[in-house]
Formats: sequence, C-alpha cells, structure tokens
Amino acid sequence: MPDSTSSGEDERAPVFSNWNYWYVLVIAVLLILIGFFYFLTKKFS
Amino acid sequence: MSRPDWIVLIFTLVGIIAYGLYKSRTTRDLDGYFLCNRSVPWYIILLSIMGTQASAVTFLSAPGQAYTDGMRFVQNYFGLPLAMVVLCVTFVPVFHRLKIFTAYEFLEKRFDLKTRTLTSFLFLLQRGLSTGISISAPAIILSSLMGWDIFWTNIFMGGLLIIYTVTGGAKAVAYTQQLQLIIIFGGMAIAGYMVVHLLPSHIGFLDALRAGGKAGKMNIITTGGTGHGFNWNDRYNLLSGIIGGFFLQLSYFGTDQSQVGRYLTARSLKESRLGLLMNGLVKVPMQFLILLLGVLVFSFYQYGHEPVFFNESQVKLLEHSRYKDSLVQLQKDYEAMQSAKISDMSRIADDPMQAGVSSSDQLRTLVLSSEEKKMYYRNTIRRWLNSPDIKGDSNDTNYIFLRFVVDNLPKGLIGLLIAVIFLAAWGSIAAALNSLASCTIIDFHRRFSGNLISQEREYRLSKWYTFAWGIFCIIVAQLAYNIGNSLIEAVNVLGSLFYGVILGIFLVAFYLKRVGARAVFISAILMETVIILIYILTQKGMVNISFLWLNAIGALGVMLLSTLLNAFTTRSGSKPT
Repeated sequence: MPDSTSSGEDERAPVFSNWNYWYVLVIAVLLILIGFFYFLTKKFS
Repeated sequence: MSRPDWIVLIFTLVGIIAYGLYKSRTTRDLDGYFLCNRSVPWYIILLSIMGTQASAVTFLSAPGQAYTDGMRFVQNYFGLPLAMVVLCVTFVPVFHRLKIFTAYEFLEKRFDLKTRTLTSFLFLLQRGLSTGISISAPAIILSSLMGWDIFWTNIFMGGLLIIYTVTGGAKAVAYTQQLQLIIIFGGMAIAGYMVVHLLPSHIGFLDALRAGGKAGKMNIITTGGTGHGFNWNDRYNLLSGIIGGFFLQLSYFGTDQSQVGRYLTARSLKESRLGLLMNGLVKVPMQFLILLLGVLVFSFYQYGHEPVFFNESQVKLLEHSRYKDSLVQLQKDYEAMQSAKISDMSRIADDPMQAGVSSSDQLRTLVLSSEEKKMYYRNTIRRWLNSPDIKGDSNDTNYIFLRFVVDNLPKGLIGLLIAVIFLAAWGSIAAALNSLASCTIIDFHRRFSGNLISQEREYRLSKWYTFAWGIFCIIVAQLAYNIGNSLIEAVNVLGSLFYGVILGIFLVAFYLKRVGARAVFISAILMETVIILIYILTQKGMVNISFLWLNAIGALGVMLLSTLLNAFTTRSGSKPT
C-alpha cells in the first residue's frame, strides 16, 4: 500500500499534521453516526 | 401546475443553462475540456462528486423508500466513508502522479492494452445504458404525475443539459453542479419544513417521529438476522451496508470515470483528497435527512387523508377496466377507514391518558392496525394491476414524495421541487456524458487512431462525442419507457453486474503486484461470466442472494482467481506479462 502521508509541501494535510488523522476522523464520525442511529432506532421503535 | 409553478420551473432551468454557458469558457484543448486544467478547489470537487452521485431517483425514491420500508436504506451508505479513506490512501495519489485523463489509462501502464480496453468498454456499456435509464426513470414519474407527454419529458430531462455539457465540458459540469446542489438542498429543506408545518397544530416534530416509529419506519439500524441466522437476501442491514456498500462505493468512486473524472479536475492531490473525505463525512447524514423526509410524510398522512395508491395514472387504468365497480366500493370503504383513523389519531393527541392507557401504547395499537387495514386495500389494488388483462405498474414507491408535493405544497413551491428533480437528473447525466466522451476519445479514438491529430481537432471531436452520447442516452431513455418502474432497480442491478469485476481489476493492479496482465484479463472474463450466471440463477429463484453482494463477489473473485492463475502460469514456466 502506498504511503498515506504526502511528501510535497502543497500536499500537506490541512488542520492536522498528517492525513492519517483525517482518515481516523472520517471513520470515527461514521462510528458515532451508527451509534446515534442505533439510539434513534431504539428510542422511536 | 399553476402559472407561478411554471415560472419558477422555467426560470430555474433556464438560469442553470445560462450559468453553464457562462462557465463554458475553457482552454481549447483536452486538458481544459475534460480536466478544467486541473484547477478546481476541494469544495467544488465535493459538490461535484455529490451532484454526480445524487440523481433524480435519489430524491424521488429515497423518501418513498422510507415511507414504505423505513429508514434502513441509509445503511447502504455506511461503506462509503471507508471507501473514501481507501481511495485517498491508494487510488487518488496514483491517478494524480500519472496525470491521466481516464482511470483506465492506468491499467495499460500496469497491465496491457487489452485490459485497459476491456475495462473501458465495460464502463462505456454500463454507464451509457444506465444514463439512459437515469433519464427515463424520473421522466416516467413526472409524465405520469403531471400528465406530460413522455417523449418530450425525456427530451427535456436528457436534452437541455447537453447544451452546456457540450459547450463547457468538465468545467461547466462542475460549476453547474455546485449551483444545482444549492437549489436542491434548499428545495428539500423547505419541503421538510413544510411537512412539519402541515401537521396538525398539536403535533410536533418528535410526535411525527414517534408515529413513524410505531409503524416501524424508524428502523435505521437492522442486523439482517432471522431466527435461523443471517438473511443473505436482505438488501439493507448493517453488514451488507458496511461490506457490500464498501465494495459498491469503492468501485463507483474508484473505477467509474463519471466520478474519477470529477476529482481529477482538482488543482492538487490535497484538494482531491479533501473533497472525497468531506464526502465521506457528509454523505451519510445527507441520506439520513432525505429518508427522514419520507418518515415525516408518512406521519403527515397518519393525521390526514392518504391516497390508497400514489400513482394516479394506474388507478385510472383500473377505472376503465372490469374492476371499476369493485374499485368504487374499495375507495368508499378506504375513505371510511381513513376518516375513522384521523379522528382516532386526533383523540389520542388531545387526551393522552384515555382509560389509563398511555398515549404511546394507544398510538402503537392504532398506527399498526390502520397500517394493516391500509395494506389490505393497497394489496388489492396491486393484485388488480398485476392481473394479465391490466399489466399495470403495481409499485408506487417513487410516486409518494412527488404526489405529496403536488397535493399539499403551495403554488411556486411545487415548481421549485419539480425543478429540483430536473437539476438532480442533469447533474448526474452531465457528468456521465462528459466521462463517456473522455473515455471514447482517450481510450479508443486517440489510442487506436494511427494518425496524429491536432489538439484543436481533438477538442472539437470531444464535443461531438459528448453530443453523440447525449443522443444515444436519450434514445435508450425512449426505448426504456416500457420497462416501467423497475428501471430504477435496473440501474442498481446493471451497476452491480459490472462494478465488482472492474474493481477487482483495479485492486489487483494496486495490491497484487506480482499478478500479470494475462492472469487478470482471463480472471476478469471468467468472473464477469460467473456474475451474470449468478444473476440469472437469482432471477430464476435458484440462488437467493441480494445484488449488492455481487460487487464483493466480483472483486474478490478476480483477485483470488488471478492470483491462482498467476501462480499456475508462473509455475508452468511462463513469466507474468
């Protein structure tokens, strides 16, 4: 698998120091959404 | 439609065409026409990939899906954020480094010409047909609901966008998608507000969710489990959404030129990645909100008169059949049932603790019993429509949301929401035409033409190819009319038949470095045959598997088979090509 961190100056990840943090953020938000949806399912069903 | 609706509709559509033409000033070469000179910022990339994925069917079908089957359809998108991460790590850096026009160019660099040509051909076949169907599906619904002529609806749905797509290429596509999505989200937000606003004064947003929940419409997370294990034929559950959805979205965003062509226009790798990752963050909530609209419409009808069947043109068919007397009686009984339900619902809301029973329990009992009665009437109509002498369309899911709009929203807003359907269709069709033209010129015309042609001529040819694909898709749309509502399903099935194998080829290219061209080419042909065979057996009822799994089977099958073939040929003494 290619290196997930970019080498060029203009390709540096915004906000975080590394693109890996972005990937973790996207997956974490998905997990939070699934948890929230599970809560809604239980609450309204 | 009223005059204000027509004014809003025409003003919006003409405005988009004018904006597209205004943004059409591109460099007169292929780089400008297909890649916007690689100058697009991440937020346009985000809106462009969202606009390409969200077709008219997304906004017509999803609320109806939630209305009939509940919100579990959202799980279908759980694999998307994971696919965005894998794309950003693997696919996108390679595509940017190679400075390619189409994703399939990479396959020639990695394997050989025949693998590139096969994959590009499969894309053209699949995307050309499904774009035709994408024109036809909303056109059928609109023509049926509004009484418009289907021929002209197809022409307007698929034809007007050709003006700016041919003239401006990828730049016009990307920038009109930005404006289209703003109008679409605005229209859907107003529709959502109006549903809640139209509920009885004592019924709030949470009450509406409770009413929907009691009827099982808030089934957002489902496991797919039955008393006897996992149901492989269950389309929407957590497992199929994450695994099946992951393969579907990875193949769509990673190997379908209509999407790859969007993020290749980014000014840098960073902008491509940001656009895709933002899509991973916002797509699931967006789909959730569209589905929630369907639940709210369901709740709205619990407190008001709900049509017994949402596709009125089909009810009219029955009015002129041998069932006409039975239909009159059925409608009379149904209206009586509806009136009783509305009065009971209002009574529960006014007096929550009748006879010591909580309003929640009363609500559940009432909603479930009225759903049961309603299904009896709806199923009777479906049975009549399915009878050999009628041969009607017994599925009205895609008519639910628009029927609600037409029957209940104020003048002007109806025109806006009809415009939303047109714009959603245009966004995805324009991107598809652009990508079909880019593959035709780059993967076929330029690659196989012995003559060196000038940049100016390539640019002019690209415009002609875009125009020709536009005409082809409209012809497919006109021919597809007789298939009816199953068109929408056909788009998904058609994608699943090819996507898995195409993704498998790309995954071998990225991850199985030792596998050569011959092994992957043979594996792709064999697996495509297997996938089509599985689909035929499923249609005949001999295999019980949801089409969403075909993507995973196709992709993993190509990887496994090509590894085995490669090992075999290497052991036999031949080197991987």
